[in-house]
Amino acid sequence: MKILKTVSAMLLIGFALAANAATIEMEVNGLVCAFCAQGIEKKLRAFPATSDVVVSLEQRLVAVSTKDGQEISDSELRRALTDAGYTVEDIRRETESIDTVRARLKEASH
Amino acid sequence: MFPMIRAPLGASAAFALICASAAADAKPIAFANGTTIMAEYGAGTMMEGQSFYAPTYWLSTGGGYVRFDSELKGVNREIAYLRVNYLAKRWNLPSAQANVFVWGGLGSAAGNTFEGTRLARNVGAQLDYETRRVYASVKSDLWESSEFSQRVDTMQLGLAPYAHDYSTLATWFVIQARDYTGQIRHGVEWAALVRLFKGGAWIDAGVTAEGKPQVMAMFNF
Repeated sequence: MKILKTVSAMLLIGFALAANAATIEMEVNGLVCAFCAQGIEKKLRAFPATSDVVVSLEQRLVAVSTKDGQEISDSELRRALTDAGYTVEDIRRETESIDTVRARLKEASH
Repeated sequence: MFPMIRAPLGASAAFALICASAAADAKPIAFANGTTIMAEYGAGTMMEGQSFYAPTYWLSTGGGYVRFDSELKGVNREIAYLRVNYLAKRWNLPSAQANVFVWGGLGSAAGNTFEGTRLARNVGAQLDYETRRVYASVKSDLWESSEFSQRVDTMQLGLAPYAHDYSTLATWFVIQARDYTGQIRHGVEWAALVRLFKGGAWIDAGVTAEGKPQVMAMFNF
């Protein structure tokens, strides 16, 4: 019974973290120049739910954070990047903050 | 549509000079909902200014002004035009991108080999391939009117000494080969350029093999 409670608690915590993912990371093909990044950033910042955007050409990564209590669905993100002219390979919801992602990318580029 | 002709052509020329350069082989469509302003000074042979708005990533429309000054026969031509640019095909690769652009437009041409103005037609295409370290493009631009037919073919090969990122300055060394038909110039014009861009600003600057300045600037916002 104790094990069951522990497992249930862990699952609940896991679901809670997933539901409040701090950052959405997208792996993008065709991301090779500053203009590409500029267009994608402009597109993603147009979402009312967006709070911040980070683009890394080196990592082929686009990261978006959303405002508290707001969400952007995978299909909306995929459509936004497709409409910007790029191909989304993968979308992941991470628990780290976008500032942490930014710092990680900066460290990786050095 | 083009009752402007002479005076506006002069104003456009001034604009191009102020912008002090040209985006000969930059992409005619930067990104969706983006405005692009480009200007080029091409070694005294060609001077061009353009402004486009792109409602989508695959289409842009706008206008420009181009002037050609031949060193062969003292011929000059100037054209104010409206143009539509279309991204016919894009390949998004993991670490590269390739594009095929085509465009077409109409304008008003004037020159010192005929009186008044003529309707000018313009069609062109560009193929480019780009990674963060290598850039290659070929472009052909055809201008025709009842008085002339000429083409400007440009090829560029660029190498970057380091891979830039969005927040860092991009530096490229570019070799450009350009050929003019239609009594504008004999022989290929070679130029060595340094290309710098960061954010929405892009500048090419260099010299031709004859030592003439070749400059181009582009701004996207």
